[in-house]
Amino acid sequence: MEKSKISAIVLTIIIISVIITTGSEFKSMQEEIAIYPSDGLTEKKQLSDYFEGLKDTPGDTEVYVFEGEEEGGSTLILGGTHPNEPASNLTTIMLVENLQVDKGRVFVITESNKSAFTHNDPQEGSPHGYHIETNSGERYFKYGSRATNPIHQWPDPDVYIHSSGQKLSGSETRNLNRAYPGRKDGTLTEKIAFGITNLINEEKIDVTIDLHEASPEYPVINALVTHEKSSDIASMTIIELQFQGIQMSLEASPKNLHGLSHRELGDFTDTYAMLMETANPSQGRLRGATTEKLIVEGKDKIYEKAGEAGFLFVEFDENGHPISERVARHTTGINEMINSFNMFNMGNEIIVKGIPDYEDILKNGIGSYLQ
Amino acid sequence: MEKELLYFIVMVGVFFIGCFGLKWQVSISMFAAALSGLLISGNGFNLRHLVEGAFGYIDTILIIGSAMIFMKAIQHAGTLETFKYYVIKKFINSPRIILLAMTFIVMFPGMITGSATAAVLSTGGLIAPVLITMGIPMVETATIIAMAGMLGMLAPPVNVPVMIIGGGVDMPYSGFGLPLLVLAVPLAIFSSLYLGNRFLKNVNKEELKKELEKMKIHDIKVFIPILVLVTLMISTKAFPKHIPDLGLPLIFILSSITALFVGKEKNVHRIIKEALRDALPVLGILVGVGMFIQVMTLTGVRGYIVVQSLSLPVIFRYMVLAVSLPLFGAISSYGAASVLGVPFLLAFISKNQIITASAISLIASLGDMMPPTALAGIFAAKVVGLDNYKEVLKKSFVPAMAFVLYGIIFIYFADTFASILL
Repeated sequence: MEKSKISAIVLTIIIISVIITTGSEFKSMQEEIAIYPSDGLTEKKQLSDYFEGLKDTPGDTEVYVFEGEEEGGSTLILGGTHPNEPASNLTTIMLVENLQVDKGRVFVITESNKSAFTHNDPQEGSPHGYHIETNSGERYFKYGSRATNPIHQWPDPDVYIHSSGQKLSGSETRNLNRAYPGRKDGTLTEKIAFGITNLINEEKIDVTIDLHEASPEYPVINALVTHEKSSDIASMTIIELQFQGIQMSLEASPKNLHGLSHRELGDFTDTYAMLMETANPSQGRLRGATTEKLIVEGKDKIYEKAGEAGFLFVEFDENGHPISERVARHTTGINEMINSFNMFNMGNEIIVKGIPDYEDILKNGIGSYLQ
Repeated sequence: MEKELLYFIVMVGVFFIGCFGLKWQVSISMFAAALSGLLISGNGFNLRHLVEGAFGYIDTILIIGSAMIFMKAIQHAGTLETFKYYVIKKFINSPRIILLAMTFIVMFPGMITGSATAAVLSTGGLIAPVLITMGIPMVETATIIAMAGMLGMLAPPVNVPVMIIGGGVDMPYSGFGLPLLVLAVPLAIFSSLYLGNRFLKNVNKEELKKELEKMKIHDIKVFIPILVLVTLMISTKAFPKHIPDLGLPLIFILSSITALFVGKEKNVHRIIKEALRDALPVLGILVGVGMFIQVMTLTGVRGYIVVQSLSLPVIFRYMVLAVSLPLFGAISSYGAASVLGVPFLLAFISKNQIITASAISLIASLGDMMPPTALAGIFAAKVVGLDNYKEVLKKSFVPAMAFVLYGIIFIYFADTFASILL
């Protein structure tokens, strides 16, 4: 046989082996992670219940509903919009596994962009997931991408033109938090946004809380971003958090930046739209080695150096920003937003229990509040 | 020594040994360097990271592959020859106008798509025979095309590096039109005249006329593929609500198909084979570079380099910006905009952010001339028929310095420029 043909056969065999090995590893990210809801759960719905166009698509996702015996207000908590911001997803899982509602209704989505949990961003070197020790043993959670899986939505245009006419780089077309209020005949990501907007309208959601994380070098960090309609609730939340020693800045939603939940959900629905950011070293450009340990413990020597040089918008010392601290911030923020809503809406309150407080999560670790 | 520095030295060392010592191809050397980074950092032979990193350039690879097919298709259809004939015949008495007009023709697809490669491989190929026939040597012609391609990527309405930087700091892409135009146009005029003007002083018009008579002219219909290409590029941007974005690869392929109908060459297999033969080395480099970046990020080398670049005293910051952005752009100019452009913009946060981001994108665009990827440089060399692009890189030194200097002046006086332009 010719030498070139032998080379071709050998190379083909190697390529097929690489495809099978890495392909099966890639596909393993599509496996669902088990969540163990508390007995306060009253109903488990799907986002496609609010928008038929999502049925049997990778964008359909679970909506956990907790309804109190007494009628009251309602809130929607969005986790996992960006699966590379793990405290967002983990906070909502912890809520689903602990929440009890006495009055009003709480809707929780743990994987707002489910498709984005099924892959990682190329060239980011991210782990597929991370482990947390809980009372019942070690549990695994996914660490995904900022954007919808290109297997589900591809190709990206050169320029993403939002329905408002705003132009962004093409890859943002798969970013759920640039797709609001969504389009029923749009891309998969726009359909997910449309489904969430429909949910808010149909369920008459009073308060929408979108949980995010940001890299330590990003200016809007440890912050609460609010639509102008919800500025009273947000201001009261910040004051209450500061009383507890939790530093959180208040940022107004820019009117000229479109597609974000705090802007569009406030503009296109009657909800009070707010978004919270914590400091996540595993997603920044300045980080050191990208490991599970970095995700969970949040310690990084290179970020420490960047902090010393004054390049960060959050303090960064040898203790870093562990995921327990970030979940604690989100959890306490949610609690205070609900309390602040209640202050301005007497008679239409949302009364919840089972949410651990900031100090408890820090002291016991997030694993203590996962089943 | 910090471990990230050690990993970086090993990876770069393996690359150089492979490339220059063992004479491996750049792509294979990049793969070996990425593998060495995985092994030395204790990540083992982790195939997943190599494959995932390589996929970072899948869209770029498709654009290059399809643009190259388009290039070959219009070449076989006779579009290039016919274009050359009409341009020279019409403007034989105004060679400088030809030079500047050709420069802006190259820039145009870059302005619409935000891709220097698309510009070089579409209209770059179209104008190359014109400039060469006018007496501009191949190396200078290639350099003019490469520079124009990068300035097309910079110029409005679409500047992807600015969009990427803006995405990192939540800055909307608005208000950039005039600053980007003021950055791109003077540099385009300077680069082209600096590289080509001296060859136009002694144009022998009589000889040119004789050459025109010898040329084989095709029917005007050979311009249909160009018309289809430009129409598709513009219409999807102009009417986004009515015409879906087809994506550059599909636009190039559809335009190539029209070339089959208007030209004599119908052998699709031959066209594709020729195109891929020319494109394959660069596509291989992109795959290798993707693996290299993934391992750099995984091991913390990327963060280490960024922080080291930013940590120098403020007085050196402009110098570091001028050097590190194009150097990192050697991996990808979009990557440089994302990884270094965002932190640099934040480092200059007291200055006007629109002007600063525009100027950073100008300096980052130079990455498309830097080896090993050097997409603009390599493909410009290819469209004029050069095997090696090293001479193009050398010729680009002065215009590249002008890019950097102009960019730095823009950043330094950002607030003054803002008061005039915004």
